[in-house]
Amino acid sequence: MKPLTSLMHAFWIAENDLRQSFKSVRHVVWSLLFPIFMMFTFSFRYGAAEPDVRFISFLIPGIVGMTAMFGSINETMSIVWDKSLGVFDRILAAPVSSTSIIVGKTMSGAVMGVISAIVLLVIGSIIFDVSFVNISVVLLIILLASFSFTGIGTIISGLAPEPREAMMLSNLLRFPMMFLGGVFFPVEAMPIPLPYVARALPLTYATEALRAIEVGNTSVVFVDAMVLLVYTIGTMLLGSQILMRIMTR
Amino acid sequence: MENAVEVKELSKSYGSLVAVDHISFEVKGKEIFGLLGPNGAGKTTTIRMICGMLRPTSGTAIIAGFDVSQKPQEVKRRIGLVPDISNLFGELSARVNLEFMGKLYGLDKKTRRERIDQVLELFHLKERQNDPVKYYSKGMHRRLTIAAALIHQPEILVMDEPTSGLDAQAARLVREITIDLNKEGRAILLTTHQIDEADRLAQRVGIIDRGHLIALNTPEQIKNSAEGMHALEIKILNEVDQQRWISIISGAEGVDNVFLAEGKIRILSKDLSQIIPAVVNLVDKHGGKIENISVAQPTLEDAYINLTGKSIREEPKSREEYVQRRLARSGLR
Repeated sequence: MKPLTSLMHAFWIAENDLRQSFKSVRHVVWSLLFPIFMMFTFSFRYGAAEPDVRFISFLIPGIVGMTAMFGSINETMSIVWDKSLGVFDRILAAPVSSTSIIVGKTMSGAVMGVISAIVLLVIGSIIFDVSFVNISVVLLIILLASFSFTGIGTIISGLAPEPREAMMLSNLLRFPMMFLGGVFFPVEAMPIPLPYVARALPLTYATEALRAIEVGNTSVVFVDAMVLLVYTIGTMLLGSQILMRIMTR
Repeated sequence: MENAVEVKELSKSYGSLVAVDHISFEVKGKEIFGLLGPNGAGKTTTIRMICGMLRPTSGTAIIAGFDVSQKPQEVKRRIGLVPDISNLFGELSARVNLEFMGKLYGLDKKTRRERIDQVLELFHLKERQNDPVKYYSKGMHRRLTIAAALIHQPEILVMDEPTSGLDAQAARLVREITIDLNKEGRAILLTTHQIDEADRLAQRVGIIDRGHLIALNTPEQIKNSAEGMHALEIKILNEVDQQRWISIISGAEGVDNVFLAEGKIRILSKDLSQIIPAVVNLVDKHGGKIENISVAQPTLEDAYINLTGKSIREEPKSREEYVQRRLARSGLR
C-alpha cells in the first residue's frame, strides 16, 4: 500500500474517532470537568480564603500536564470500546493496513490530549493570570506528553479484553501518576522512595518542563523533552506491537 | 468468474481448541451459498478467515482469484462484509458512517456522494440519513450495515447471520434485499443457524458442525440425503408442556428423533407404520389427547438432525465448546 494512502487512512480513522468524541457533548464536558474541579479545589490551599498565588503558578502547569494525560488515555480507550462493540471489525474488514489503524488511533489520542490541555491552559491563564514565556515550547511539550500518554493508552487498550478491565487498568496507572507526577506536590518534597517512582513517570517530566517554561528556565526543558520523546517512542512501539498482534492473529 | 470463493482445507486452532477443522467448499460466481450450523460451529471463524481478518492455521482461501493469506488487501477490496452485529458508529449519522467507509475503500468524493445517495435510497434510509445511528431501529441498523458493505460495490457479499435478532417483517425485507443483490450478479456467502433461511435463500448449503463441514449440496439434495427417513407431526390437545411429551415420545421404539417445530411435535423415524400406533398408544397411556396427526415432507432441519444427531437450536454444553464459541464470535480475543 502506498505511504500516502496509508497516511490518509490514518487521518480518516483519527478524524472519525474525534468526530465521535466531539459529537457527544457530555463526553467532552465530563472529561474537562475533572481537571477544572481539581484546579479550583487545589487553588485554595490549606483552607485559605483567597487562592494562594504562588501555589497557583506551581499548580497550573501540573494541571495542564495532567489534563493531557486524561484526555489522551481516555481517547485511546475508544479502541477497547471499538473492539467490544465490533466497530473495530469494520475497519479490519476494509483494505486498511494495521499501521494506518495504529497511527490513526494514536493521532486521535494525541489530538484529544492537546485540545484538553489547551482548554485548561486558557482557563488557567484567564482566571489565575498565569502566563508562559514561550507558548510554542509549551505546545511542543504538551504534544510530546500527549503522544507518550497515548502510547500508554494503546498498551492498556491492547492488553484489556473488555472496557471495564481497561478502565480499571487505566485508573490504576492514572491516579498514582496524578499524585506522584508532581502535579500537586513537588517531587523533591516527597519521601524516599517516591521521587524515584516519580522519575519513572512521563507526567513528572511534562509537569517539570511546563513549570520550567513558566519561569523561563529553559535548561531543564530540553532534557525533559528528550525523556518524553523516548517515552513516546517506547510506548508507541510496545503499544503497536500489542495491537498488531491482535489485528493479525 | 467461475468460483467467487474457493476454500481448501481451511483450519483455525486456538491452542488445543480446533474452531475450524480442514473445511473445503466453493461459492460459485453468481450463487447464494449458505453455511448452516448452530452457534459455535465455526461459521464466523470461517468467514473471518475468508475476509482476511483472521489468519488461518492451515489451508487456503482464494477470493476472486486472490489468496487471502498472500493478498489480504486485494481480497478486502472485493468483499463486502455484513457482520452478525450491526457495528456502526452510533454517535454518527448514516451519511457520515457511509462517508467514512467510502473513504476507507478509496472512493473519491464525487463517487462517494453518488454511492451514498444510491444506497440510502435503495435501503429506504434517506429520510433519516442525518440522524445519529444510535436512534435507529434494529431493522434500520441492519439495512445500514448492508448498505455500508455495498458502498464499494463488492463482487462478493459475505453476510454473517443477516436476519439474526430481527422481527419477521425486517427479516423478510433483508431476505428480499439479499435475493435482489444476488440477481444483480453478486456471489453471496451467508451464514445462518436458521434452517428455513438457508432453505429459502441458498442455492447450495454447507452444514458445519463443531468445525467440520458434514454436508455440502443443494437444499433439496440434502433433504433427500435423509433417505428412508419419515416425519410425523402431532399436536397434543391443550398441552402447554410440550417438552414433557417430547421426552415421553422419544422413549418409543422406532423413534429416531423428536423435536419441536413450529408448535408441533415432529418425530423422525425409518418406519412410520411401526411408530404411528406406538405414539398414539403412548400419548393415550399418559393421559393426553391427540388434536392432530399428519405425515410431513422431510425438511432441511430433518436432514440436519439426521446428520448431526441433534437439533440446531441446542446450545454447546461443555466448557470447551463454550470457550470455542466465545473465541470464534469475539474475533479479537
